[in-house]
Amino acid sequence: MSTAVETTAVRSTAVGRLVRIELKLMVREPLTLIFVFVFPVVTMLIIGGSFGTTPTVAFDWVNPSQWYVASYLTVVIAATGLIMVPVHLASYRERGVLRRFAAAGFPRWSFALAEVVTGLVAIIVGSVALLAVAAPVYGLPSAHHLVRVALGFGLGSVAFVAIGVLLGTVLPSARSAQAVGMVLFFPSFLLGSGGPPPHVMGTALRTIASYLPLTRVTDAVRDPWLGTGTATGSLLVVGGLAVAATLLAARCSSFRSVSR
Amino acid sequence: MSEIDVVTVRGLVKSYGRRLVVDGLDLEVARGEVVGLIGANGAGKTTTVECIQGLRRPDGGSLRVLGLDPMTDADRLRGLVGSQLQSAGLPDRLRVGEAVRLFSGRGSEELLEQFGLLERRRSAFASLSGGERQRLFLVLALVNRPPLVILDELTQGLDPAARRSVWAAIEQLRTDGMTVLLVTHELDEAEQLCDRVVAIRAGRVLDSGTPAELVDRYGRSATVSFTLSVDHSLEMLPRLGLLPGVSDVREQAGKVTVSGTRAAVAHVGAELVAAGWVPPDLAARVPSLEDALLSLLERDRDSMSDLEEPELIGATR
Repeated sequence: MSTAVETTAVRSTAVGRLVRIELKLMVREPLTLIFVFVFPVVTMLIIGGSFGTTPTVAFDWVNPSQWYVASYLTVVIAATGLIMVPVHLASYRERGVLRRFAAAGFPRWSFALAEVVTGLVAIIVGSVALLAVAAPVYGLPSAHHLVRVALGFGLGSVAFVAIGVLLGTVLPSARSAQAVGMVLFFPSFLLGSGGPPPHVMGTALRTIASYLPLTRVTDAVRDPWLGTGTATGSLLVVGGLAVAATLLAARCSSFRSVSR
Repeated sequence: MSEIDVVTVRGLVKSYGRRLVVDGLDLEVARGEVVGLIGANGAGKTTTVECIQGLRRPDGGSLRVLGLDPMTDADRLRGLVGSQLQSAGLPDRLRVGEAVRLFSGRGSEELLEQFGLLERRRSAFASLSGGERQRLFLVLALVNRPPLVILDELTQGLDPAARRSVWAAIEQLRTDGMTVLLVTHELDEAEQLCDRVVAIRAGRVLDSGTPAELVDRYGRSATVSFTLSVDHSLEMLPRLGLLPGVSDVREQAGKVTVSGTRAAVAHVGAELVAAGWVPPDLAARVPSLEDALLSLLERDRDSMSDLEEPELIGATR
């Protein structure tokens, strides 16, 4: 029989193997590649080039191309949290992969941890790719409050990955996760990040947009980045969302990780 | 609990909603034993082994597996049990070699070779045939040399050749002294592979014993038949009826059928040899476990028809 120390060591290496293999599988998944790595870049190139480079009132008097570059990081966050993570998790549960992992001695929490790590890595890689393409085309705006931008981006990423784990845990199948994910993703994308600026929206749309979690994340990243505001309120909302979603996801996934 | 028991289950009870699936089940598996849990679909076999592995919480009863309680020590226990679960898959794009490394931390070329998967080690799980998938699951169950292996319907959907190769692997495990709990509704499989079988129905143990014991207890008689020749007349028939284990001797148009226990087959043979004549059409038939279990289920149906819960019979989870 192993000692407690040995058991912990064995488990942590098993969890490490699980995280590594999940990262590998992530880049073999076409849905992930398209939505997280390709879709944000392509739409950013199209929308970012549609309104010219002259600052206007609609874009808070900043260069529209740069306004979109600063907005689009959160498209990567939404694609990861609303599509990639839930579809992946629901398909694993549906097909008994989680049961097999659990029966093989991987701790119940290890798969949720692997999903969080994979989701955060996907967001970082997708964001770096986005900025790498944007830089030579539209130029990167310099950040006015770098720490606030980093906080908004980090907390927003955690919040959406946790929402993804939650969705993937409660939705019964990969198919339903994909349907629900798309229904949540596109309005969030159009109203809360990559679509028209809030100033040109009608009152009704602007009201809806203001309630979308992604709008708050976008504000918390874009305003301090472009110097159009500090977005303290949005940052606090995103922080609260990150904590609440993480607690809820941890609670749900520890109960349902093994059941079919 | 005896020192050598690897699994001890007492009075296990489990319901799904209002449906009682396991109803006061007892089970022991001793070290080095290959035990078959046999029964029809819906008998509660899979639920029982899921409780043993700590994958489901029982509603009642006590369980002890490798000295641990599957409820409170589930994480530790699962690391010690190699298991082939029913309806549990792997990620489509995971490759065979990657799966083995994920489960064990090392590549295990020997096992892959033994199960004919070495050539496929770079293939994705989704591209494997049904037989290859089952063999991969078996490799994953065995790769860490666990002190207890649980195999649930492991030859389901395999072609006869693949089935034989899996059986040969299990026989090797038996020779190596591994402890195996085999869940199956294929009775020929249980007869071939198990030291002891536990027959369950509607969540209860009907009986247990070696396959031969169950056959003796519940199977129809063994029979020896042959045709009399002109030189060997009817006078030998009364002698056959007096042999140990013989229960009945019939003769019809020169064709003789002797029924009795398994031992009677040997005594009839000896008697014929002693008489200096072995009939050219001599045939002996010993009932199989399948014959015995069918009869067991039939008896059970008669004796407990009042207690029957119809939705449990043949129901799948």
